[in-house]
Amino acid sequence: MRKTFMLFLMLGIISAGFSQNESQKQKTSEFNVPVEYYKLDNGLKVILSPDKTSPTVVVATYYNIGFRIEPKDRTGFAHLFEHMMFQGSQNLGKMEFIKLVQQNGGILNGSTRFDFTNYFEVVPSNKLETMLWAESDRMKGLDITQDNLTNQQGVVKNEVRVNVLNQPYGGFPWLDMPQYANSNWYNAHNFYGDLKDLDAANLEDVEKFFSTYYAPNNAALAVVGDFDPAQAKEWIKKYFGKIPSANVPPKPDISEPKQEKEKVFVKNDSLANKPAIAIAYNMPERNTPEYYAMGLLDQILVEGDNALLRKKLVDELGYTSRISGGINYLGDMFNYNGPMQLMFDFTYDNETSKDQIITAVDEVMNKLSGGITQEMLDNAIVKMRSQLYDKLGSSFGLGRADLLCSFALFDDNPSRINNLEDHFRKITPEIMNKTISEYLRKTNRTILTVNPLLADNEKTN
Amino acid sequence: MKTTVYIFLLCLFMALPGNAQKKEMPPKGGEPKGFSLPEKEVINYDNGLKLVLVPYGSIPKATINITLKTGNINEKEDEVWMADLLADLMEEGTTKGYDVKQRLAGMGGNLNVGVGTHTTTLNTNVLADFAPEALGVLSDVLVSPQLPQSELDRLKNNMKRDITVSLSRPGSQASKEFFGEIFPDHPYGRIYPTTEMVDSYTLDELKSFYNANFGAQRTTVYVVGKFDADKVKEVVKNQLAGWRKGPKADYPVANPESDGAVTIIDRPGAPQSTIYYGLPVASPSNDDYIALDVTNSLLGGSFGSRITSNIREDKGYTYSPHSSLSSYYKTGLWYENADVTTEFTGASIDEIKKEIVRLQNEAPSKEELQGIQNYESGIYVLQNSTPGGIISQLNFLDVHDLPESFLVNKVKNINAVTPEQVQAMTKKYIKPEKMTLVIVGDKEKIKDQVQETIKKPVEKKQ
Repeated sequence: MRKTFMLFLMLGIISAGFSQNESQKQKTSEFNVPVEYYKLDNGLKVILSPDKTSPTVVVATYYNIGFRIEPKDRTGFAHLFEHMMFQGSQNLGKMEFIKLVQQNGGILNGSTRFDFTNYFEVVPSNKLETMLWAESDRMKGLDITQDNLTNQQGVVKNEVRVNVLNQPYGGFPWLDMPQYANSNWYNAHNFYGDLKDLDAANLEDVEKFFSTYYAPNNAALAVVGDFDPAQAKEWIKKYFGKIPSANVPPKPDISEPKQEKEKVFVKNDSLANKPAIAIAYNMPERNTPEYYAMGLLDQILVEGDNALLRKKLVDELGYTSRISGGINYLGDMFNYNGPMQLMFDFTYDNETSKDQIITAVDEVMNKLSGGITQEMLDNAIVKMRSQLYDKLGSSFGLGRADLLCSFALFDDNPSRINNLEDHFRKITPEIMNKTISEYLRKTNRTILTVNPLLADNEKTN
Repeated sequence: MKTTVYIFLLCLFMALPGNAQKKEMPPKGGEPKGFSLPEKEVINYDNGLKLVLVPYGSIPKATINITLKTGNINEKEDEVWMADLLADLMEEGTTKGYDVKQRLAGMGGNLNVGVGTHTTTLNTNVLADFAPEALGVLSDVLVSPQLPQSELDRLKNNMKRDITVSLSRPGSQASKEFFGEIFPDHPYGRIYPTTEMVDSYTLDELKSFYNANFGAQRTTVYVVGKFDADKVKEVVKNQLAGWRKGPKADYPVANPESDGAVTIIDRPGAPQSTIYYGLPVASPSNDDYIALDVTNSLLGGSFGSRITSNIREDKGYTYSPHSSLSSYYKTGLWYENADVTTEFTGASIDEIKKEIVRLQNEAPSKEELQGIQNYESGIYVLQNSTPGGIISQLNFLDVHDLPESFLVNKVKNINAVTPEQVQAMTKKYIKPEKMTLVIVGDKEKIKDQVQETIKKPVEKKQ
């Protein structure tokens, strides 16, 4: 009790510098992110979040299109398209966007996820206007040649090779599990893409994808860092305000049927020499009490040194040296918007049987049923808060921009960033126990093992 | 066939009417805000231990690193990863009679004991309120580790499993060979132990390693973020200021070698070739270092660099090409690392070489260099703008015996580099005929390509 009170006081002092803009104060939140949210006439969602820690600024543009809903005969296209966004726009030719950012002392990247594609720059704060101009330029339209497309098809195919085809455990389990655990094509296809589909992509596809999804009314723009909000607003209006909105098609049905039977699969891996296993449980719907409870169960089971699965499988039985896991392997439990799994995975020895592993996992799960104490909950919340603060401070403000854009796109409410702790604190042992019996049941899970075809060839030197 | 189609399409587009409209220029942006390194407080204790406090940022968390100047560099030839095994055993807790993992988890942190080439680090990252208490726990693990015999076999088995899995990756195979060839008689070249070696390590040997290498003189405690400084100082005074002095830091200096050897490690059927291609260069303590660093950024070390523009953005041979300037004690390495399409292995090496030779023969334009200098200056700010980054920059000075002015004057020195210096650095250090080349790939498909490019006998492994 005393600790919480002290922390609250301390934060009062810390946030005093920028809390003037904030009319609403969170009762129990110990760290308040400044959030100013508005929309341009063309529908672009804008979130401003000043922070004077360092003289840098993040510009993050999120488009509400992920790899789930890419065209059915073009697997991997959403990601290939992400590469096209660096290949040239009306005023910036190939390599010019990249060079513009670098020559202004910044870093940049983009990524394609389940439900969005993002582009971001971190630059010295005096270069904010330059970056807003550049992002708006490519939102207005692309100028891609067949030459550029062919080049990036080559680059992306090499990306698939280096991350999947030429690696043991390539794509395991982050790319594999969605294909086994889900049954709706949108969630269950190969997101990186068949090399054939990647080869088949043409300029018409690029044009169509851009005009369908890359519109201001299907995007969110976050500015985080050391900047003057009034000035930023002027620039945003000037550069983005005249980009026309588009008719974005309604989102297809991406729902999954309720799973009633355990699913078990084996993947042969000709490059691996040790077996590996991934176990995935379907998540409750986003933002329900059960969803937050699963977030805490992730903390209790998987995250950190005192996680129950770690204690059992690593410390006690010595089956593996570490367990990876979490909700959404391509992000976290906050930045997706559709069916998802809580998953964990690890490699183990050829001498250990899969049955031994499953038995040990089930022992942990059985012990959990009906046995959640307030103490376990309190510790899970401490770990959750610690992780959340890490994200708010991570990568020069990118972590903060990620949450703000996700909540703007998915919920039209980026201020949720300041309510998350409240939601976790409302979870009772009863909700936890209900969630365990409904979602951590065997019939709600998929088990995928890697069969190592090089198991007899353990040569290491 | 593919090439024909490609050229045809290229021509088709070149024949289209060009865009006559004048392009809009990017707004330049305002005047730069000044940047100064975060303020820090340094306390030196009589036993040689140093405490560095950096209050930083607004997030209510504290990063605590206890960094010791010992690591893999202090292992003998038959002790590879002994430092790592000791670290794994230290993670099992302290003799002080409480559960370290449970205690730190209650503060929102984990215990990480990590070993690098030059340093060993006890790290945790906790909610701000708990910083002094967490430092107390880390201090217990450092000064009074439990080192339980009962866990040793399990940890050895973990290590052996991890080595076996890791060496099934082409990148690990390539780096093991590459660094092994360049540093034949130094710990820098011993990237992986054999599983037999791991089996042979005893608890007594681990304890000897601890006794020989751990002590206050080698230790710096970093606390960065939000914390109560007075309470942190009290913990250090009570738990670490009286710790044994221990040995002075001792980093044996390496004599790296490289004479144009080519090695192919066979990976039948591999769709890509994993390339390591480089040689020894100057260390951070050398006057050439900053100019060499800028040269690296321009040549292959950044997204917009020449090699990346060529083999990725022009030719599409690879996804993640990258050149590095790696810092070792009193020496350094420059190398290009890329995973390239098997059929373009020779062509990729050829293009990398061409870019090096071009920079040797012709100084870059002022504009190109200025762009890289701006980039490097921006990166400097970012490197010093996170708790982990701040610690890493200060630790770099410590490992390489550099004065604080190295960091303070870095941006000024970056911007003083001239185009002629970049050319001179390339000529002086990055000599293709001396570079060691290691390729992990499909030997049958690549050996002729490589011979054609390098014109030297190829040495094959496996």
